[in-house]
Amino acid sequence: MSIRGKVAVVGVGHTKQGELPGMAVEELAVDAIRLALDDAGLALDDVDGLIACKSVQGLGNDVAVGGLLGINPRYSQSLDYGTCNFSLHLAVQAIVTGMADVIVMCYGANARSAKADFTGPVNFQVDLASASGLVHIAGHAALALQRHKSLYGTTDEQFGSIAVAQREWAQMNPAAIFQDPLPMDAYLAQPYLVEPLRRADVTMISDGGVALVVTSAERAADLRHTPAYVVGMAEQSGVRGEHTHEYLTRPWLRDAASAIWQSTGLTPADVDVLYVQDPTAVWTLQMLEYYGFCGIGEAGPFLAERNTAPGGTLPTNTHGGQLSESYAWGWMHLVEAVRQLRGAAGPRQVADAEIAMYCSSQAFSKAACSILSNREDA
Amino acid sequence: MGAPMVPNLDDRVAGPFWQAANEQRLVVQRCDACGHLRWPPLSGCPDCLDRSATWVDVAGTGRIWSFAVYHRALHPAFGADVPYVIAVIELDEGPLMTARYTGPAPLVNDQVEVFFESLVEGVTIPRFRPRSD
Repeated sequence: MSIRGKVAVVGVGHTKQGELPGMAVEELAVDAIRLALDDAGLALDDVDGLIACKSVQGLGNDVAVGGLLGINPRYSQSLDYGTCNFSLHLAVQAIVTGMADVIVMCYGANARSAKADFTGPVNFQVDLASASGLVHIAGHAALALQRHKSLYGTTDEQFGSIAVAQREWAQMNPAAIFQDPLPMDAYLAQPYLVEPLRRADVTMISDGGVALVVTSAERAADLRHTPAYVVGMAEQSGVRGEHTHEYLTRPWLRDAASAIWQSTGLTPADVDVLYVQDPTAVWTLQMLEYYGFCGIGEAGPFLAERNTAPGGTLPTNTHGGQLSESYAWGWMHLVEAVRQLRGAAGPRQVADAEIAMYCSSQAFSKAACSILSNREDA
Repeated sequence: MGAPMVPNLDDRVAGPFWQAANEQRLVVQRCDACGHLRWPPLSGCPDCLDRSATWVDVAGTGRIWSFAVYHRALHPAFGADVPYVIAVIELDEGPLMTARYTGPAPLVNDQVEVFFESLVEGVTIPRFRPRSD
């Protein structure tokens, strides 16, 4: 069954991203939902679907959000550590199957103010790797990047182009937390955190709430903003985990890519703006290659040509991403994609952006991608 | 400086690995049904789903598949260790094993061999260094 053009994002909302002490994750999620409904021109009475996701601290599921939201929607679900893409896919499935008509999907985090611990072993049990000192996702990402450097000759300067370009985008985004200039020489002068990764290559941690309103194309047509239609979507898991050979390079990302190109008939050349969920810049490097924006092993030169930077052929993470704008688990990526498709991205607006793609992943276990357009027939 | 990160030697699945390490032996699981060598430890075979396995000695030699240098301790347990190198070792028998590397700055594909160090009283941990022969 094709989902092409049947569902659209019609509202986006978010709280301030940064330090928001004293706020529960559910309060942040509900504040964002109210803003997203205002944006869509809809009211809580219109909502019959809720998709929440657990925050880092394990809170924020639909049952916890529901009370503060004050409604009993017929469709209500939670994702476990879901990024925004997975929530969107669930929303599309619920709408095309008639289980809901107007869905709010939300996320809230207070990881910064709560001083959440990200330093422990990724799998939270002491094994040989963690007892040896492999702690924090930056370590795994650094191993994947070093492998890439050794196989393909990728340089620090090429790789650093990701963080540098995203900072340039962030400087055009008043909501971005990091807006200080980050020219290449300043990037290269940063000490390594986990070599070959520097601080600028790893996400910040910030608090905030984000929400989107999703509905059918029929209903979207009557609303105030240009709808962001979902043209295609795909997922691929890697839940075999470390028993997948060379799992650090996440070879299964390529299967999510083949699935979406095949089902939509689109190609990487059709994408006007690209979003990559980026807890580390290594994810961006991998996605560019696996999704076919450049050849395998060729991301270094591709980045050095400034393709992803302002003025480049493939504007990427035009809000600054998790490296420069905010943490938000990739939720702000989809907000930005919708703004670009509405032509409402202000000074960073990419001219004539019609096709946006969002590639995300849940560390080493799942990948999801979506293509959106402001054209129902894209 | 924090308390060291110590594995559970009585773990139902991984315990035998640490007990072997205390005897200066490096072992991985071999599936009794299909012979697949697996690392890290798992309670069943991911290839054939059989639940029986035997811990077998490996040579302790291999090549560096990749490595990363921690310049900052991202966990207090490793505050006294920085800078230190984590390497993914492709064992000669096939499995990839992630452990500490000690020695001159490594390169991918460098040949390495296992050696054993005391982590805390009663717990020995395998580490890797450049191959001596």
